[in-house]
Amino acid sequence: MVIIKIIKLSKDLVIGAWSLIKGLVITLKNCFIPAITLQYPAQKQPMTDRFRGLVDLHPEKCIICYQCVKICPVACLAIAHKQENNKKVISEFKYNMELCCFCGMCQQVCPTSAIYMNKIYEISVYDRDKTHINLLNPGKYIEWLNTSIK
Amino acid sequence: MLMMLIAGIAVLAFISASAMFLIWWERKVSAHIQSRFGPMRVGWHGVLQPIADAVKLLLKEDIRPAEADKLVWWLAPFFAVVPPVMAFAAIPFGKSLIPKDLNVGILYIMAISSVCVIGIFMAGWGSNNKYSLLGGMRSAAQIVSYEIPMILSMITVVMHANSLSMQKIVEAQSRHWNILHPNMLLAALVYTIAATAEVNRAPFDIPEAESELVAGFHTEYSGMKFAMFFIGEYTNLFIIAAISTTLFFGGWHGPFLPPVVWFLSKTYLCIFIWMWVRWTFPRARVDQLMAFAWKVLTPIAFVNLAITGWLLLK
Repeated sequence: MVIIKIIKLSKDLVIGAWSLIKGLVITLKNCFIPAITLQYPAQKQPMTDRFRGLVDLHPEKCIICYQCVKICPVACLAIAHKQENNKKVISEFKYNMELCCFCGMCQQVCPTSAIYMNKIYEISVYDRDKTHINLLNPGKYIEWLNTSIK
Repeated sequence: MLMMLIAGIAVLAFISASAMFLIWWERKVSAHIQSRFGPMRVGWHGVLQPIADAVKLLLKEDIRPAEADKLVWWLAPFFAVVPPVMAFAAIPFGKSLIPKDLNVGILYIMAISSVCVIGIFMAGWGSNNKYSLLGGMRSAAQIVSYEIPMILSMITVVMHANSLSMQKIVEAQSRHWNILHPNMLLAALVYTIAATAEVNRAPFDIPEAESELVAGFHTEYSGMKFAMFFIGEYTNLFIIAAISTTLFFGGWHGPFLPPVVWFLSKTYLCIFIWMWVRWTFPRARVDQLMAFAWKVLTPIAFVNLAITGWLLLK
């Protein structure tokens, strides 16, 4: 009986020691693979295709159908237009980022894909006025893009 | 007298620099083992992080629990730091680079580093907190149990070198390191495991097991007192690595480079092994820990001692 016990104990010891060595090898290998953490402000994770950042606009594609304004659940979009040569011309397209709930309904409903959501995710600002964005201004997101990803 | 003073200042400066470096290094090793970067912001790859942490700890409020045993609580951090610092007195960094070559060097180091447990137990008792007390009691049980296999494995080296003096033990390894003898290899293994338990490091860190005891014996400490426990822990780590270098890896012996470089590089390599072990293995349970000490390590150490004696008499 004692011999069987000793054999069992030594077998356990050998198996245990072997598993410990295996673990050590795994962690040592890990030591030399590059870290998977991103150094955040310097390195940034590219956003996925379906990521919903801030609302953006291709003004030339817009047909002023007001669908986006109607569907927006929080009423953060505001459009104004005027008639020129019997043709609707967009005169104002305001976006209130403070209200936006990033649902993506405007993007879904737009018949010409004029309105879409970009990949900007670092959207905090120091000034409240900056949350009211004029989508017709081509340089509206430059400030964000300089600090964020393309 | 002046030389002793200079040696003392040099040792203290070395201890603080070494503890800071080890804290940074431990964070880096753990980070790389877990595919992270570790500290990166303060200085190049975060080398100045320990200094930033030290400044933070110095400026922190020193909170004392209302029901704490004042004197014991206040003295505990000193008891945790002073023994490892005293142990430096007999560590041979080079041929003549040893603060004091005692003829009972290894015995002195063992005796002094055992005092550490009093500091930890004082912290546990003085805090008047159930977690701290449990941590302190676990630490006392663990350190007392693991001291036996540790000392038994050291005795094999002493038997080979025929001396307790650290310098003589190193000189005995001038031709080949002790680790190359099979019985010494076993002794080194036993020593490594027992020393891990002695300095309360994972997988034997039950005195400060955060999942059970919050932070164990230093739960109630903050600011500089906590920092002193930290410095004590890392100095202890350096001491056990230095002892294993001296006993098993030839001490300061080595070709081409100056002895002190050899000694420090071997010691830091040993420390890396302890860090590697810490970040690989899960924590052992209390009963497993004690059973391992008494049922496995101590018998192995005794058998090894007997074999060594037989080999020497043969």
